Formats: sequence, structure tokens, C-alpha cells
Amino acid sequence: MSLMNILLNATEGNNAANYFPIGVQLIFAIGFIATMMIATHLLGPKRKTADKLENFASGIPTHGNARQPIAIKYFLVAILFVLFDVEVIFFYPYAVNFRALGWDGFWKVLMFVGFFVVGFTYIIKKGALTWED
Amino acid sequence: MGVTSILFWSLSALALISAIMVLATKNPVHSVLWLIVVFFAISGHYILLNAQFLAIVNLIVYAGAIMVLFLFVIMLMNLNTATEPKKNLWMKLAGIISGGSLFLILISVVRSSVDMSQKSALVKDGNIGLIDTLGKVLFNEYTIPFEISSILFLSAMVGAVVIGKKN
Amino acid sequence: MNAIILSAVWGVIMMFSSILFKNKGAFKYIAAIGLIVLTVANIANTYGCDFFNINTHEMLRYTRFGLFFNTIAFLCTLIYVLLSGKEIEKHGNYVAEYYALIFFVLCGVSILTSFNNLLMLFLGIEILSIPLYILTGSDKRNLKGNEAALKYFLMGSFSTGLMLMGIALIYGGTGSFQIDVVRSATLFGTFSGISFLEVAGLLFMLVAMAFKVSAAPFHFWTPDVYDGAPTVFTSFMATVVKAAAFIAFIKLFEVRIADTSAVINWGMLLSLLIIATLLIGNITAVFQQSVKRMLAYSSIAQAGFMLFAVFSLNDFAKEGLILYAVAYSLATIGSFAILAKMKDITFEGFNGLAKSHPVLAATNTIFLLSLAGIPLTAGFFAKYYMLASVVKTGHYLWLVILGVLFAAVSVYYYFRVIQAMYFKEGDAQAEDVTPGFKIGLIIVAALIILVGIYPQVVLNWLYF
Repeated sequence: MSLMNILLNATEGNNAANYFPIGVQLIFAIGFIATMMIATHLLGPKRKTADKLENFASGIPTHGNARQPIAIKYFLVAILFVLFDVEVIFFYPYAVNFRALGWDGFWKVLMFVGFFVVGFTYIIKKGALTWED
Repeated sequence: MGVTSILFWSLSALALISAIMVLATKNPVHSVLWLIVVFFAISGHYILLNAQFLAIVNLIVYAGAIMVLFLFVIMLMNLNTATEPKKNLWMKLAGIISGGSLFLILISVVRSSVDMSQKSALVKDGNIGLIDTLGKVLFNEYTIPFEISSILFLSAMVGAVVIGKKN
Repeated sequence: MNAIILSAVWGVIMMFSSILFKNKGAFKYIAAIGLIVLTVANIANTYGCDFFNINTHEMLRYTRFGLFFNTIAFLCTLIYVLLSGKEIEKHGNYVAEYYALIFFVLCGVSILTSFNNLLMLFLGIEILSIPLYILTGSDKRNLKGNEAALKYFLMGSFSTGLMLMGIALIYGGTGSFQIDVVRSATLFGTFSGISFLEVAGLLFMLVAMAFKVSAAPFHFWTPDVYDGAPTVFTSFMATVVKAAAFIAFIKLFEVRIADTSAVINWGMLLSLLIIATLLIGNITAVFQQSVKRMLAYSSIAQAGFMLFAVFSLNDFAKEGLILYAVAYSLATIGSFAILAKMKDITFEGFNGLAKSHPVLAATNTIFLLSLAGIPLTAGFFAKYYMLASVVKTGHYLWLVILGVLFAAVSVYYYFRVIQAMYFKEGDAQAEDVTPGFKIGLIIVAALIILVGIYPQVVLNWLYF
């Protein structure tokens, strides 16, 4: 089966071949970036001096190390984000089947969301998202 | 060899090579980046199986959110001095032997599964992995695990507050 | 369903009580009320009154065995909360959250006692484990606690990963997540041989479950975690949670072993596991200097005895497991409650406790005797039923002899504590205990002796 045939077949139905254009675009994007990087590397003049290899920090001399341990509160926000992110993902299969599932599905989702709202209220009340404490 | 099988083999090779790179690189940040490549390869497999929703969720949640968490963990730790404790040679040897025998067993299991040999995976089309089918199954047969997983999330939230918040 | 839903709801109540009530002492009573409610609801469920009529699509199946274990777990937790509530209050400001996590653990326990689907098994194990990782690390300033929590988390997630791999392979072999579906004919046609995918999957599950119940050679996390975690939480981890993991273990293998026994000698595999567990647990416990660490190793040894139930898988084994859960949980909760009051948790720290705190010493003696399996205590009948279940299978009788031998070894290290308390001079330092605590200990000790004399008092509930 040739590549072009896949593209023609893809118009009907919901199958993996629909992702062919996306794949092509992905390959083009990666290929373009790779070509550009290689091209600039080959074509551009190279003058390596100590000053040029310094990290650029708006003209201010750099000091210290970037590998400082960060505060735990960033992590707290990040992990709470992941939890609610996963919750939102569960909405999508529901939204697609919204009509078919009817009230029955609504109550199920409501219960799920209810638990999350409970958790969210708890987080807010506990001040887990307040930055200064 | 059709396009599908070419894609399958190249994605598998990509997944395996980058999974090995996750372990082989010394720098933990590079490990995380290789892990993202693994997730992309697996998402590609999902698309081949026509499980489009899973493919995207895999990218959003794993390659997006969870990997950011991994990077956060690496940044939380003090990694100025790249010290990886030297492992005992015997421990390495024991690891290789036990891992290798497990590998052999798994290979022989797959090879000797007579019932699987005539089957092929449903690639490219088939609607098992599509979002509307998935939604119907999730909100009918699998409602109980779906609701109970919210308890898991709740305990994770409590845990995050208990561990991450000042006393 | 009562137990699962109500424990989750009460967990939420505990979460919000931390916002509503400022008095730390109140949480203990709210938790106790919750546990009583749970117990009553669960007993109602046992006798056919399910408050929630939900179609579970056969993912959960309620049996008398599982429901009765729920009741035991709730009652043991109630005793634990009443005895050790004061200790929980010492660990920071998140007292209500700790109780909430304990309720979530109980939710996991109730799932594990009723699952009929591998997906539910996975969810149950996770809901059981994640709060435990947090409770282990709850003492944030303690470096040992942090190490224990991280170790527990990493190893625990690794074993969960193995379990998922096993579930995937079993699904590949049988075409279903239901544990009692052998092979679906629609998917596999006329082929009726043994699926090696299923065999491999079951082996993965065996490893994962052995890890969760800390059976050797998957026990490495146990001593460090039990030692590093705050003593109160260790006592919860080592009792209710461990017994629940065993219930899940036996539930899974009960229906699955027969399916694959043509290619795998499960009896030999499990007996190797049992011997390794008994050997490592008992022998290492002998050499410990800290009583807490000794109890951690002895809990590995006790896991070896509970594995007899998984080995023999008959009615005796189930009765024995229930009895073991009662005996072991009561004794361990009691002796950890006393341990938490001690200033010095080495063996020397117990020297002369009988003089300074006669009640603590006397009750601790009963707990330790029960753990060792001395007659007239509950531990004796627990061990007896376990060994008897193996005898009833008629195979591997040498396992019974080994079991008795190792029980004799365990007497040595339990008696070291008793010897220190009664026959050694010293000034054992214990914190001041309230009369209520003493009465609680005496009640627990009395329960142990009651079950030890008349085990039917527990077992009858399995049938009536």
C-alpha cells in the first residue's frame, strides 16, 4: 500500500490513518529544525572565546549555581495540578457520550466531581495554595 | 511489509532504545528527557492501535505533567556533586543474572503461547480504543473503579498537604 | 458496599474536622465514632442489609469471610485508636489528616476483602498503600522516618508495577479481568491448553503480593520501614494492613491456583517462600538489640505462618487466617502501644519494668506470649489452625515440623523481653500512663486469653 493511498483512505471513518498528516507534519518540523541547526553549524563562522562561552545573564556577571534546591511549595502546586489534570481528562469521555449517558451518567460524574470538590475545598481551607505563610 | 508494520517496528525500536538510554545516561535530567521520548513512542503505538484518546492522554499526563514532576523532584534534590554510589560487582552480577533469567522466561512465555501465535493485533482500525466506546465502557461497566479512584486521588491530596505543608 | 462507601465518607469527615475543630483531642473520638459506625454498617451488610444498592458488574463480590474480616479490621482499628490515640497526637499538627488516611486505608482494606476483579485488586492495593507511605513519612524532621518513607514508596511502587505487569499478562492469557473467569472461549476459540501468559502473570502477582505481605525474599523493606516509621503507625501497618493483604492474597490464589497447577508446582514454590520467610524472620530477630526492630523481624516470621493459609487454601486455612488476624493484630497493637510509651526501646530499656510499671509488664507478657504461640493465648490456636490446615492437605508434612521448630525459635526472642522485664535489675523508664490506657491494655489482654481458651468465640461468627 503506498503512502498516498493511506491519505486517500483516511477520509472515511475514524482510524489511525487519520494521523498520517500529523505524522508528516511532525517529521517536517523535526526535519526542519535539524536541518537548520546543522546548516547554521556548518555555515556560520566560529570564534570561540572565553567570553562567548559564558552564560548570558543580562550583562550581569553570573554568580552561584543554578542547581539550588527549590522550595517544596512549587512541588505542592505541581502535584495538585497533576491530580486535577487527571480529573479533567475523565470529563472528555463523558463529554463525548453526554447525550447517550443521560442523567445516569450525569450522577456518576457528579459523584466523582463531588469528591474532587471536597478535596479542593480542603486544599483551599488548609492554605496549601497560599504562597506566603 | 506494509506501512503499519514499518511504523510498528520503528516505534518499537525507538521505545526500546530510549528506554535503555533512560538507564544509561548519568545525568538525571537527560534520563527524564529520554523518558519523554519513550512516552512519545508509546503514544505512537496507541495511535497504531487506533486508541487515539489514550495516545493523547499519555502525552498530556505522562509526557506533560508527570515528567514536569520528575524534573521538580530532581530540582528539589541537591545534585551539585554528581555522585552515584559505586555498586558492588557481585551485586551487578547478581542483577544481570536474575534480570537475564527473567528476560529468558518472558521470551519463552511469549513464544510458547500457542493460543497467541495465530492472532494479530487489531491495528489501524477497529473502534475499541475510540473515545466514545471508551466513555460508554467507563461509565457503565467500569463505574465502580472510576468512582473509587476518586478516593485514591483524595488520599493523594491529603498526603500532599501532610507532607508538603509546614507543620 | 457499606464499608467501602462509609469509610471513604468518614475519611472526608475527618479531613474537614481538621478545619472545624481546633482541639487535637477531639479527633480521636470522632474517629472512634466513625469506626463504630463502620462496624455496625458492616455487620448489617453481613446479615444482608446493604444500604447502597449498586450494580458492581461482579467487580466486587461479598462473602462472609471477607465481610467478617472487615469487622475484625474495624474493631482492631477501634482498639488501636483508643489505645494509641494519644501517641498519634504527638506527631505534628495533622492529627485529623492521619485519621483520614487511616480511614482511606480501611477503604482499601474493604476493597481487598471483596474484590472479584483484578482492576479492583489494583485499586485496593493502591488505596491501601499510598496513605501508608505518607503515614510512614509523617515525622518530617526524623531522618530515619524520611528514609523509611522513601524506601517504602520506591519499593512499593516497584512491586505495584510488577503487579500491573502480572495483571496485564493474566488479561492476555484469559481475556478478562475477572478473577474467576478461566478463559473466554469467544476470544480464544477452541484452544483449551494452559496459557503460559497466565502462568507468568500469576508468578508476577505472587512476587507482588509476597512483597506486600513482606514474605522473604521480598522482605527487605520491612525492618527499615517498621523501624523508621513512627511507632504508632508501625503498629497499624503491621497488623490490620498486613492481614488485609493476606486476605487479598488468599482470595486471588484460591481461584487461580487450580487453573495453572498442571505446569507449576505451587506447593513447592509456596513452601520455599514459607521456609525462607520463617528462616530469615526468626533467625534475624534473634540477633536484634532494639525491641522495635525485633518486632519488625518477628512480623516477617508471623507472615511466614500466615503464608501457610495461602499454601493450604482450605476451610481450615480461612478460619486460621481469621484467627491469626485477630490474635496477631491484638497482640501487636498492644505491645506496640507499650513500646511507644518506653523511653528506651532496646532490650535493656525494658529491664525491671515489672517493678516500676507492673500493669504494663504483665499485659506485655501476655501479648508476647500470644505472639510466641504459647497455649491459653490466642496465638496458640492461630498457629495451631495454620499447621492443622497444612496437615489437612496431606502433603508437605515436613513443613509442619519446620513450622513448630521455628515457633520454638521465636519463643527465645519474645522471652528475652519478658526476662528483661521480670528477672533483670534496672530502672525501665516509661512515660506516665493514664488509668484508661491501663484498662485498655487489660481489656486487650483479656480478649487474647478469651480467644486463646475459646477460639470459637471468633470463628462462630464466620458461620452464624
